[in-house]
Amino acid sequence: MSEPASLTLKVNGKARTATAAGTDTLLTVLRDQFLLTGAKRGCNQGVCGACTVLADGRPVRSCLSLALDCDDRPIDTIEGLTGEPIMQALQRAFIARGAFQCGFCTPAMLVASFALLQSNPRPSDTDIRRALSGNYCRCTGYKKIVEAVLDAAARLPAETPA
Amino acid sequence: MPLSPSLFRPRTLDEALDILAATPDARPISGGASLVAMMNAGLVEPTALVSLTRIPELSGIRRAADGGILVGAATRHSAIAAETVFAGTAAVLAHAASQIAGVAVRNMGTIGGAVAHADPGLDFPPALFAVNARVHLAAKSGHRMLPIRDFLVDWYTTALEPGEIVSAFEIPRPKPGSGFYLKHARVAGDFAIVSIALSLADDGEARVAVGGCGPTPLASTEANQMLSENLSVGTVSRAGELLTALANPVDDVRGTAEYRKLLVPRMLARAVREITSARKAVA
Repeated sequence: MSEPASLTLKVNGKARTATAAGTDTLLTVLRDQFLLTGAKRGCNQGVCGACTVLADGRPVRSCLSLALDCDDRPIDTIEGLTGEPIMQALQRAFIARGAFQCGFCTPAMLVASFALLQSNPRPSDTDIRRALSGNYCRCTGYKKIVEAVLDAAARLPAETPA
Repeated sequence: MPLSPSLFRPRTLDEALDILAATPDARPISGGASLVAMMNAGLVEPTALVSLTRIPELSGIRRAADGGILVGAATRHSAIAAETVFAGTAAVLAHAASQIAGVAVRNMGTIGGAVAHADPGLDFPPALFAVNARVHLAAKSGHRMLPIRDFLVDWYTTALEPGEIVSAFEIPRPKPGSGFYLKHARVAGDFAIVSIALSLADDGEARVAVGGCGPTPLASTEANQMLSENLSVGTVSRAGELLTALANPVDDVRGTAEYRKLLVPRMLARAVREITSARKAVA
């Protein structure tokens, strides 16, 4: 499958143009054409979670999303979320807790945690483990990551900002 | 017109069926959770794809006039997990949906795509057995309906004909009662090693199906009848033996065939305990 077509994606609030063949994934376009390398290519099978981005504000696997099929949904990557108060609280908490070692899973952990705190500002330990169950970390054993998300939640106002 | 030479995005079911009829090698794609993973692994190389996610008539959940529930094939797992219409005996379907993979995959994958993929480790097929679902199939040449047990044929094989797609699942009117999906997997969100889908109506009617133990879910009219009469330890044990005798599992990276057979009666007993203790807690 075949000749690439041009497409316009709305990424981090801006319209960006790329070319993609029918089988090219969103992850490939984000990384190789837009040089947004926060989303990682881990398993490329939808299992490890390292490629997680937001589509329509909800976490999805960019490695399982066809790029050409994403042109009518706003896409947010870790690079576009760093100005958000929830993301900044998460980043500070991850640093304070040392919630990473190699860092490969970290951008997707942050994106998945961001989506959780947007919909559930006061998650329990179990809520966090459920929300992050599709994001693998091969270094930390998850304890510090869960603690960091709890810390970030505690520092944010309980009401989700409109 | 396709967006590229290879990706079609029809807006109506008729348009999709026309494209599939005219393009024999085209693969329908919905959430992409299975097909794109297989494309990434080089297992399939479709020459054209027909995206089914922009067809309103394929998405969403609605009540039929007779009290049954119609679930569009392109309805995502996360929508099914959150849908309160799956109450009573139909709760097993939402409970199964909530245990598929992780949040991000549930936001993508669709029930039609999952069931058409017919992987024996999937969570929806046994749950659809437990609610006695029927599958609506659509093709340019006409539409038909099959019970879920006739739709699932073999390992990764369904009754779908070329050019035909799953359009909806029809769930008969749920009875007051409860449903429970018990899944045993290596880690949360993995494919099931063994799973038990159980629905139990307040009038006693029980329906059980077992996933992960053969090409298609295990179900037995006799086991259902036994469990509908009583849920004593002895009866549950005998029903477990009946279902185990039907099992035809394989050894794979998740567990041996022997291990899977050992799990079936134990997990059935646990599912019955869970569902009856939850019922007592409510009563």
